[in-house]
Amino acid sequence: MSAYAEGILVLLAINIVFAYGAFLPVAAGQLNLGVAGFAAIGGYVSAFLTNNTMVPAFVAILIGGVAAGSVALIVAVPVLRTRGIYLALATFALGEIVRATILNLEIVGGAAGYPVAKFIGLPMVAAFALTVVALVSLLFATRFGIAMTAVHDDERVADLMGLNVRAYQIAAFTLGSIIAGIGGGLYAHHYNYIEAQYFNVSLSISIVLYVLFGGTQSVAGPLVGTIVFTLLPEVLRGSAEWRYVIFAAVVIVSMALRPQGLVTAAPWRRLLGLSHSDDSDGRERLA
Amino acid sequence: MLGSIYAMVGVAMTLSIGILRFLNFSIPALFMIGGMVTWALVRVGVPWPLAVIVALAAGAAAALVVEVFTWRWMRNAGPYLPLVSSMAFLILFEHLAVVYWGSELNTMPRLFGTRADWHVGNLIVSIPQLAGFAISVAMVAVLSFLLKATRLGRALRTIAEDSETARLLGVNVSHVVPLVFVISGVFAALAGVLFALNYRQVDPFMGEGIGLKGISAMVVGGMGNVWGAIAGGMIIGLAEVLSINSFGADFVDIAVYGLLLFILIVRPTGLFGSGETMERA
Amino acid sequence: MSGSSILELDNVSKHFGGLSVVDNLSFSVPPNSCTGLIGPNGAGKTTVFNLITGVHPTDAGHIFLDGKDVSDLPSRQRIRHGIARNFQNIRLMPHLTTIENVMVGQHCRNDGLFGNLQPLNILPGNRWRKEAREALANAGLEHYEHAAVRSLPYGVQKRIELVRALVAQPRLLLLDEPAAGLNSAETGALSDLLKTRCIARGVAMLVVEHDMQFVGELCDRVIVLNFGRKIAEGTPNDVRNDAAVREAYFGSDDSGMETDHAS
Repeated sequence: MSAYAEGILVLLAINIVFAYGAFLPVAAGQLNLGVAGFAAIGGYVSAFLTNNTMVPAFVAILIGGVAAGSVALIVAVPVLRTRGIYLALATFALGEIVRATILNLEIVGGAAGYPVAKFIGLPMVAAFALTVVALVSLLFATRFGIAMTAVHDDERVADLMGLNVRAYQIAAFTLGSIIAGIGGGLYAHHYNYIEAQYFNVSLSISIVLYVLFGGTQSVAGPLVGTIVFTLLPEVLRGSAEWRYVIFAAVVIVSMALRPQGLVTAAPWRRLLGLSHSDDSDGRERLA
Repeated sequence: MLGSIYAMVGVAMTLSIGILRFLNFSIPALFMIGGMVTWALVRVGVPWPLAVIVALAAGAAAALVVEVFTWRWMRNAGPYLPLVSSMAFLILFEHLAVVYWGSELNTMPRLFGTRADWHVGNLIVSIPQLAGFAISVAMVAVLSFLLKATRLGRALRTIAEDSETARLLGVNVSHVVPLVFVISGVFAALAGVLFALNYRQVDPFMGEGIGLKGISAMVVGGMGNVWGAIAGGMIIGLAEVLSINSFGADFVDIAVYGLLLFILIVRPTGLFGSGETMERA
Repeated sequence: MSGSSILELDNVSKHFGGLSVVDNLSFSVPPNSCTGLIGPNGAGKTTVFNLITGVHPTDAGHIFLDGKDVSDLPSRQRIRHGIARNFQNIRLMPHLTTIENVMVGQHCRNDGLFGNLQPLNILPGNRWRKEAREALANAGLEHYEHAAVRSLPYGVQKRIELVRALVAQPRLLLLDEPAAGLNSAETGALSDLLKTRCIARGVAMLVVEHDMQFVGELCDRVIVLNFGRKIAEGTPNDVRNDAAVREAYFGSDDSGMETDHAS
């Protein structure tokens, strides 16, 4: 495999992990605008571990994920007493706090960035990405997955059906943050260098865009959205200046024309042979 | 007075969220448009008052474009899509500006000599700054009068309550909503103009930091509360100055966003919010 | 409080702003019965349902389920005390299939993390899945198992909502206008379904409904509300001839009640 193809595949795998981190809270009706912050926590924690202890890289990356999830839990429990947009704003604030804190944390290099000694190659990054996709798919086949969608669709009715709405939202948000943290760890150990400025609001926004562009109704949505948006810049390589303009315009137009995202639940089910009388995908909406 | 600029951006955001329940992330870009257009026109010799007017008009026009794509076409698309689309607009406008003007920091020519500074003992108060501050307070006063006392204001408040009911009561929602976008666009652009005139530095990404502080101002003051956003802007400005003085410049962001997170956790309706506006959002 | 009622309201009141919506309301629903709750629009019927299920807290008074005071219980926990309901405007989950919607109804009987993490959607033999499929078949809905609910006809959606409530295995079913918007054949089918799935199995019902023929056929007792107060109670025939009820519906006019609600 050429180095170029390998580079793109690694980027794709890491972006997929990030995307599923953002997808889980969205699937439960919450928006995480601080994905980059959680990714940074996972990246720095795992990098610090491999740099300073004998912990193998994959263990350190998992621990980094758990660290990101713990921070998410601490923030989500109080903030989710209220609803909707407050969590989105809190995650956004948290992402900025994480970034600003790391910039001032000399032990991990501060603004100069943090070199990471251990290297992981494409096979391990890809293995992590595939595992994440498989586990999230499995999760959506459980009662937990049904409950998350129910909470997303109608909090009031879900509550009256006996679902602990807040617990599901907190769980979805925390699990998503763990995944984002793992993505950060993969990034740190593949590129052997991280800096706080990479994990900024723009990264968070881009990841959320992948997910909503792909569609939030099915597990396949984030996958498709990420593939499109990771490969699109490669196609647009020639016009570096216009790249972001085209990216943003594609997002705006596609959201206006197809608010439910590229991938809807129906064809996905058909693919799995679950569906036979389903003609509604054109009318679905992210509600 | 950076505080008053945060306050203006905060007012722009709070109008959108208070009336339309729409967190409009394109507002930082409208701020940038206000600043960049002023700079671009002044640079080619356009008299500054004319440049300011064109900049405000550009901000309003951009706000209308955002309105069509985020609001008019996606009214029933759920709470997050318009928000995300407005984020895409932020990226779009910023990079259009990069394509057009390049990404480097540009310096405004000095329009008002040092004669415009006003020496009060040790303190130097720049008259343009003071005037900018006065203009923003006056604009907000006019706005809050509009909201309270006119028919338009009543229509807007009905929409804030429930846009379906507003429709039933004969409010022409599809005419009034673009107006909300225009007003908030003008506020954001004016903040950008004031920034450009006072700090004399513009670049395509100037909106990000200040827009984020504007969001903080809005939350601190209570979403949907115009005077709250003003107070919030001042508080954020003050928090910045205090944290620079006591911890150094590196900790400004931690302090400001820490304050934002703290308020979201402890009192999410903001310091001055009634909490009613967001209950059903 | 008497232990013989499945549901008992004791002097329950609710205000919204200055408006009194439910005023000092007391009534009880015996087990194994079907009680109708009728009254003109705005009489507070749906609010009574919302108070019983905990959507709104009561301002005053107490609500007992099976003799236990649930007035201060969070809405989420009340379904575990044996009540389930449908909604006046259908509220199914649009992004779930029919059978997944039904499985949401099973949730209150499911325990703990293990139950939450069973991959019941990909194991065709899963006990919960089998049960949900049977419940759909009993309601004649097996054909729609994997359909997206949004695309289904109104009457079918109403029946799915009913099945969702039933799989919670309630002892009391609250039905808010179950026959509204249905044609006469669908209403008949609904009536049969309720008779076989509820009355025959000892599930008590409290039914808000405007279709008096439906109420007369199904309910053994009727409570009439007007402006949040109980103005009459008795057999469907008794209330039909009650002067106060006629007054509430039509002023002093004497035209028949059924004709009005057939429209």
